[in-house]
Formats: sequence, C-alpha cells, structure tokens
Amino acid sequence: MSSFFDAWHYDGRSAVRRKVEVQTIGQQFFLLETERRHGPFAFADVEYVQHKGDVDVYGLSGVDGWRLMLSGPVPAELSAHLPSRRRYGGWVDRLGLGKATVVFSVARAAAIAVVLLSPQWLAPLIPQSVDKKLGDALVGDFGGRFCSTPAGKAALKKLVASLDSSPDDLQVEVAKIDMINAVALPGGKVILFDGLVKQARSPDEVAGVLAHEIGHVREKHVMQALLRQMGLAVVLGGVDGNSGALVNNMLAMSYSREAEAEADAHSMKALGNADISPVGTASFFERLSELDGSARGGEEGRGITGYMSSHPLSRERKKAFEKSIVKGKDYKPALTSAEWTELKTMCTQDRNAKSGFGFDFE
Amino acid sequence: MSEDLSQRHSAFRFHGTWREFAGIAFPNLLLTIVTLGIYRFWATTREREYLWGKTDFIDERLEWTGKGMELFIGFIMVFFLLGLPLIVIQLVSQGLIFRGETVIAAAVTLVMFLLLFYLTGLAYFRALRYRLSRTYWRGIRGGSDDPGFQYGLSYIWRSFVGWLPIFLLVPWSMISLWNERWNAMSFGPHRFSANAEWKPLMRRYLLFYLVPFLVFVGAVAFGIAIAASGGQPDALGGTGMAIGGILLIFAVLAMYIVLPLAALAYYSKYFRLAVGGLRLHDLEFEFRARAPDWILFFLANMAIIICTLGIGYIFMPYRNWKFFIDHMEAYGEVNIDELTQSETIVSKHGEGLLDAFDVGAI
Ligand SMILES: [Zn+2]
Repeated sequence: MSSFFDAWHYDGRSAVRRKVEVQTIGQQFFLLETERRHGPFAFADVEYVQHKGDVDVYGLSGVDGWRLMLSGPVPAELSAHLPSRRRYGGWVDRLGLGKATVVFSVARAAAIAVVLLSPQWLAPLIPQSVDKKLGDALVGDFGGRFCSTPAGKAALKKLVASLDSSPDDLQVEVAKIDMINAVALPGGKVILFDGLVKQARSPDEVAGVLAHEIGHVREKHVMQALLRQMGLAVVLGGVDGNSGALVNNMLAMSYSREAEAEADAHSMKALGNADISPVGTASFFERLSELDGSARGGEEGRGITGYMSSHPLSRERKKAFEKSIVKGKDYKPALTSAEWTELKTMCTQDRNAKSGFGFDFE
Repeated sequence: MSEDLSQRHSAFRFHGTWREFAGIAFPNLLLTIVTLGIYRFWATTREREYLWGKTDFIDERLEWTGKGMELFIGFIMVFFLLGLPLIVIQLVSQGLIFRGETVIAAAVTLVMFLLLFYLTGLAYFRALRYRLSRTYWRGIRGGSDDPGFQYGLSYIWRSFVGWLPIFLLVPWSMISLWNERWNAMSFGPHRFSANAEWKPLMRRYLLFYLVPFLVFVGAVAFGIAIAASGGQPDALGGTGMAIGGILLIFAVLAMYIVLPLAALAYYSKYFRLAVGGLRLHDLEFEFRARAPDWILFFLANMAIIICTLGIGYIFMPYRNWKFFIDHMEAYGEVNIDELTQSETIVSKHGEGLLDAFDVGAI
C-alpha cells in the first residue's frame, strides 16, 4: 500500500531545494523527484525538527541537514508514522504545561528541603580525619599568630577542660589579632582573638564565648554549613547571578541563627556543669549590644562560624544567659586571678607571635 | 541555479511579532521560575527556534537546531570543570592568607584571574562556533574546526596590548579579535573572511575616551565666562556658589547622559565596520544601523523595561534579534549548487562557558 502527495526536501548535501512526493512502503519511505528517487528511509529514523509557519519540518537521524517539509493536510496513514510535535521539550509536553508547573514546583521545594536538612544527617558521617585535614589545611599555624606562654597555655587548658568532657580533640588557641571575635573551624579548632580576651572583664566572659564555640564544634555546625553551602550552590546553580546568591545567603543566614541558638544552649549547659556563672557572659552581650558594627570583625567567609558575624540579637541572648542563672548556686570563678592575668597578657608577653591579619606585609 | 541579490530589497527579513513571542516568553518565564532556573536552557532554545524560524534569508527561513540539553550539559560541564575548582582555589587561598602566606595567595589569585580571562576568550569563540553550527539554511549549516584554544591566548595578549597604552588601543584589540574569530568560521563549504579595519574607529573612540575631559573643560570654561560677565570677581558671593552648584549638576548629568551616548556611537561604528569587513565567498555584508538608530533602540529598551516594571526584560531577546536582522544586509550571489554541507565537527555541548560568564556571542 502506498500513497502520494506533495512535499519539499533538502538532502543535507547541497542547498538545492527539491519538490518531492512521499512514497510510503511499510515502515520505510522513498522521496520521489521527477528524475530521481531518494531513499529508502526508515520512519524510525525520522525526528521532529520544528514548526515553521504552516509547515512541519522533519529531520533524519544520522544525516546532517536532511529535511522533509510537509504542509497542508497530511494523510493520517503518513502522520501516524511521523513523530509528534514538540513544544516545551520532552517532559513538559508529556505532562502538559499546568501539571508540569506543579510537578516542578514540588520537586523544587523537595530539592531545597533535602539540601537544607541533609547536612544535619550527613555532617556526622564525615570521618574525623577528613575534618581534621581540612582544618589543618585551612589554618596551619595561622601564620605564626598563635600566642603561647607556659602559664597562659596552662590557664587556657584548664578553662577548656572545665567546659568540655573530652578536651583532647579540641585545639583552642588565642591569636594575636585585635578584633573582638572568635571562630570555630573544621577539625575541632577554636580560635579566640586577642581583642576579645583583652576587653573581657572576667574569665567567666571568655568561658561563655569559648563554650559557645565548642558548642559549634560539638554540634558539627562547621561541617554542616560547608555542606549546606555546597548543596545550595548546586541546587541554585541554575538560577542566574544575583538572585541565586541572595536566596542562598538568606537560607544560609536563617540556618546560622538556629546554629547560634544551639551553640548558646550548649554554652549555658557547659557553664552550668562547670559551676561558672553565666552573669559574665550576659554582661558581655550587654556591652556588645551597645557596641556597633565598627568594632566587630568581618565575617571570614563560608564554612566559618564567626561569633560576631551572625547574631544581631545580642540583647535577647543576654536575657537568655541571665535566665540560666540558678539562684543560690555556689558559682566559682572560671580561673584564679593569677591564671586570668596570665591568659589576658599571654599575647603581650609572647613576642614571637606575629600580630595583625594576613593582609599586611611585615 | 543562483540567486542574484542586487534586485531584492533586502536579503534578510524578519517577520515575527511580539504577540507570538509573548506566547513563548511567558510560559518560559513560568517554567524557569518553578524549575529554579534549570528550564532556562530549554527556554533559550525555544526562543531561538522562533526567532530563527521567522527570519528569511533570500527565499528560505533560517532554522535553529540547538537543543536545551546541549546548553544544559555545557552549563554542567562548566560547573564541574570551573565552578568547583574555583571554590577549592578560593578556600586554599583563604587558608594561605590565614597562614600569612600572602605572596603565594596573591600568586594563586593571579593565576586564577588569568585562567578566567583565558576561558572568557575561549567562551566567546565557542559560543560563535556553536551558534553557527546550529544555524541551518536550506539544510546547510556553519561551524568551525578550530577548537579556539589559540584564540583564548590571543584574547589575553590582544586585550593587554589594548589596555597598555592607557586604553588607547582598545579599538584595535576589539577589531582584531573580531577578525580572528570570524576568520576561523565557515558556512557550508565556504570560509568567512574578516578584514575589518580599526583605524577608522579611532575618531569615535577618542570622542568617547575624551568625554570626561571635555565635560570638565567645558564646565570650567563656562564658569569662567559667567564669572567674567558678572563683573567684579569679589562680588560673586552667594550667586557664585549657586552657579557652581548648577555647574556641578550639569557636569554630572552630562557624564550620565553624554557618556552612554558616546559609548553607543562608538559601538555602532564598531559593529558597522566589523560586519562590513565580513565576506563569505561571493557574499558581502553590511550593518546599516547608525548611531541614532542604536540610541533610539537603547532608549526604547529602557522605556519598555521601566514601564513594565521589569517584565519587559523577557522581550529583550526578541528586540535584539529584530534590531539585528532589520539592519542586516547582504550583497552578492549565492550559488545554490555550490553551497554544500559543512564538514566541520559538531560539538555536543553548548555555550556553557558563555552562559557562566553571562556575555553575548556576536
Ligand atoms: Zn556562634
């Protein structure tokens, strides 16, 4: 059984336009010119190219530039062999625009949820050794900025031991940098900046901040933040430039608030266990809320949870710490006054430690 | 069989309408939003299919055969080959700064900058090649066998030479890069030849280059003239201050209005010269838009975007293409029998790099 009707054809080898008739023979067809016959071609190889004006354009897989252009009412027996039209692309065409929109919206929400929530489950699965290596690669000896005196180190060690049950997998250092800040980094590293230690009015204040940073380490916040940032970069990779970065930052911010609250809770508990009064930390926040941006250090980029970087709510945190005071409890100072002096002056005493940030050449 | 173009009104004709385009652009916007931007590759493809399909060259429409998946794969490749390494390099250099290795960090940053610059050049080249290889006319396409690696190097050194003499050789670098890019391209069996000259561009460039100085000199001269006509210099007082303020506002306005106009005037001349130097076998090209056309086009685009509160942005591909085709002209002959299929290789991935850097191809 065969049928004849009009069509145009380019053979893909030259730009000559040929008027042809389509001769269908089973699953194959020929294209007949006045003096030439092209083919046979298999219907299975025919691909839909596009709709131009009132013409449907078909191609042939494997033959570059081969075109068959059909216009007018195409007989049903031919069109049954031809691939269907494409509008939005495979998936959307199969579902229809409305349904596809709904499906994509749900998938989008699911993808974002997975990326935001999975770091909490994934972070503990990252081996300690990887975490450690990452921290070492990132920090090293901090450009020789860590301060060290025997007595100061001993005081710091005592402070850490009172706040954490397994202080051996923590590395707490004081860096000779004049900023009121502290950071928790991968590999259990906590760095207190000398500016923060110097301005503290009691060892209890330093203890509260230190316990907060240890909280970040113990709750695996650093690795979580790193994973979350990477995941968001992948998921939002399709969104161009600024809007993507904005969404990314907003999502990351809201999660860092949560992490800050967790770290604060950890800090209050640790202070309670060590019989250190939270009053010091509360008054630290009191002063901080009066202090404005200028004195605070900058954020150190992704994956590093800065103490100062993400807490606009100093006042509320102050209240939280005040509430955790247990009346009648016999609080002891975090360090003896001799120890406290040693810790506070450690960076002044240590003349070998370099000062400032990495940006200035010395 | 050949086509003589001298009798025709214009070899290029565009007969799309913005209403039809809206029918593509709005669903595209919707799908792009609900897929977190991933659909935009298919959106671009659908828009190009429409724009190409509504464009006549002589007696046959153009055909865009690019696929959304190609652009998507290109994007994914860039993400893994470029995005992730960049994040890692950033982390490493941050770590280096932490450690105080400022010199090494600076070196790493410099290498990263050069690499990005190289890839930008490569991206321009690849995008042009991709677009030509997906553009069909009468079943024949264009392309290039040059992978563009050499062009990437040219892009670096020519740009630097252009900037070196206080940016005075920028026209030379733009034109010579255009020529180098197009000389590597072909359509069907014919190679493009690009011989645009840069010297005729210098006057417009100097105009643009000198605008800030001219405005400054003009303002000063005007001020002196006013002061001189006002009689006693010591009697100026408040009036003098007012005149000074007006002059300042005038100068700022001039900068914001005159500078973009001068830039457009320069670009219009550049594009006219660049297209004018292009040949394909017996075909010569001309771009007829002059500076006032460009300025009107630019102002209309601004007006559309502002009046539609930004939604008009989705019509920009339509506006750009229409402007391009409306002013494009070709002279000479096309020998249909001679125009055989291009033998250039076809890459399977699209404009990933270009997409990542957010630049245009032509
Ligand atoms: Zn924190």
